[in-house]
Amino acid sequence: MERSGAAGVMDDGRPIFLQIAELLESSILDGTLAEESQVPSTNELAAFHRINPATAAKGVNKLVDDGTLYKKRGIGMFVSSGARAKLRARRRDEFARQYVQPLVAEARKLGIDPAELKHMIDNWEETR
Amino acid sequence: MNRTLTVARMQFVAWRSVVGWPWAILLLSFAINLALFSAMGEKDDFEPTTGGLMSIYVVMFVASISAITMDFPFAIGLGVSRRSFYLGNVLHFVGQAIVYAAVLYLLAVIEQATDGWGVNLRFFGIPFLLVEHPVLRYLGFAIPFLLLGFVGIAIAVVFKRWGMNGMLTLSAVALVAVGGSAVLVTWQGWWSAIGGWFADQPGAALLVGWPALLTLPLAVVSYLIIRRATP
Amino acid sequence: MSPVVTVTDLTKRYGDVTALDRVSFTLAENRIYGLLGRNGAGKTTLMQLLTAQIFATSGEITVFGEHPYENERVLSRISFIKESQTYPSNLRVKHALRAAALVYPNWDEEYAQQLVEDLRLPLQRNVRKLSRGMLSALGIVIGLAARTPLTFFDEPYLGLDAVARQIFYDRLLADFTEQPRTIVLSTHLIDEVSDLIEHVLLIDQGRLLLDSETDALRGQVVTASGPVAAVDEFVRNGTELHRVRLGGTARATVRGDFGAAEHERARALGVDLVASSLQDIVVRLTTSSNGPAADAGSAVAADKEAVR
Repeated sequence: MERSGAAGVMDDGRPIFLQIAELLESSILDGTLAEESQVPSTNELAAFHRINPATAAKGVNKLVDDGTLYKKRGIGMFVSSGARAKLRARRRDEFARQYVQPLVAEARKLGIDPAELKHMIDNWEETR
Repeated sequence: MNRTLTVARMQFVAWRSVVGWPWAILLLSFAINLALFSAMGEKDDFEPTTGGLMSIYVVMFVASISAITMDFPFAIGLGVSRRSFYLGNVLHFVGQAIVYAAVLYLLAVIEQATDGWGVNLRFFGIPFLLVEHPVLRYLGFAIPFLLLGFVGIAIAVVFKRWGMNGMLTLSAVALVAVGGSAVLVTWQGWWSAIGGWFADQPGAALLVGWPALLTLPLAVVSYLIIRRATP
Repeated sequence: MSPVVTVTDLTKRYGDVTALDRVSFTLAENRIYGLLGRNGAGKTTLMQLLTAQIFATSGEITVFGEHPYENERVLSRISFIKESQTYPSNLRVKHALRAAALVYPNWDEEYAQQLVEDLRLPLQRNVRKLSRGMLSALGIVIGLAARTPLTFFDEPYLGLDAVARQIFYDRLLADFTEQPRTIVLSTHLIDEVSDLIEHVLLIDQGRLLLDSETDALRGQVVTASGPVAAVDEFVRNGTELHRVRLGGTARATVRGDFGAAEHERARALGVDLVASSLQDIVVRLTTSSNGPAADAGSAVAADKEAVR
């Protein structure tokens, strides 16, 4: 049977709760979710992404644990002040590992030395 | 008890077909007989009886079988216990028997009062049941429903519990028992004695007493069998 | 919180066929479980045992703290929507629903009517004249509207089109959110339910292979591809389930604990890692020539390995 079922936007491989956490982080980074604004409820997230509510809750709780979100009792979850800056700093750290490292590794495989690579990046910027 | 009532009600959800079939068939049989007798005209020298009344008993017998074979898997699927299903099913069947017998009794009384529906038709009156006692007469209609019903239930329950093999075994055992006793009776020359015994029995005993006595063990055995049956 | 279902060493034999072989697990309250496995793995048998429809050869079953056999207290709190459920031939769809309404104490008639409309179920039609998909839809309506604390859906969407299946998943999720309960979805269409189920029970040939959180499984199985030597080196930290080779490159399905460090290691080795979907994991585990690998998430499966 065709793959049409409940599977929504989630990709198969990684834990869904991590993907939910990352989606929320991205929304905070790009400003869709402003600081001190309310985050969608677990149930809204579950219904929207067609995932188990417990999994959605786990994703939200991960962000509560690291201080990105905080809980207002009886109302819901909110984006912490300063969360955006903190996320950006963390993502910048990850950027090197996630993107630069494979780039350099691939370049080395192809015999592109660092200077040449740097040149390519500069030119890439110009041609855009 | 509550669940038992629920099951009895459950089997009535399609009450039109539950009540409709037996009475439609009986009505059809009655209509045919009535037409025939009107066409033949009255004859005083013999008192015609028809087997038409049997039709409703046959339909109820079949219904009691299908109540087990079809309703049992459905009820179990809905989370009803075997005990509740059995008791509810019995309640459902006995309830019908009580009401149907009353209707038949009433029709027999009308038949008598109208001189056989004006054409001397004996359709509802049971000829060899000569008792005039109203209670016995009523039971004469009711008890055969129960006997046939519980025979049907017993057969269906054996089928549910042991499947086709169970049915074959049951038939084989029944055949051997009946055949064996026939041989025994012939060999011993008991036929006349048995015939005499039947002749000596009052109509009420044949139609009410003995069937009632047979029904009871069938009901108990069926209950014990269904407790370990699978849908 | 005591478990809703506890099963210990449950075995069911039909003659010399063992349908279930010493299965043990528990089901916790208010979760959605996926009971996965190939056709004939023993999924339906297991659910029939839990609902006392059939009898165990050996082993213990407790549902809501009691044995379900002839136990009205327990049975009235379970609904089991069996794929092969038969209905009395004189019933129309509306009759079947009325019967269910009589039996289930928490039946929600308004909700049932809504579902009937959404799934376009013909109320007046005789059940024997329903298509496979409509029969499934009828089961879905009964299973959802019954609102029982424990609900089993056995292949609930056979014959349903994509739209109806989507309606089922959405309704199930919405209803579960509103009225949490324990739901067991038995299926071999794993992709469709993988995001809905919080916990996976995987059965193969009557044995419990997996008893694990769904999210914990994700990332536990990866496909590693690259030069044979590099793949060999990488695979050492896990259990290899499957491998194909093409010249000097290999692609191996590996089970293990693949966190950030392992991804780093793969990158360093020049091995490409792709995480497997739940469906792939199940396929690998139920066809693996290595047999069921000892499971990190399940002491039960590990014990069973040790026994053999």
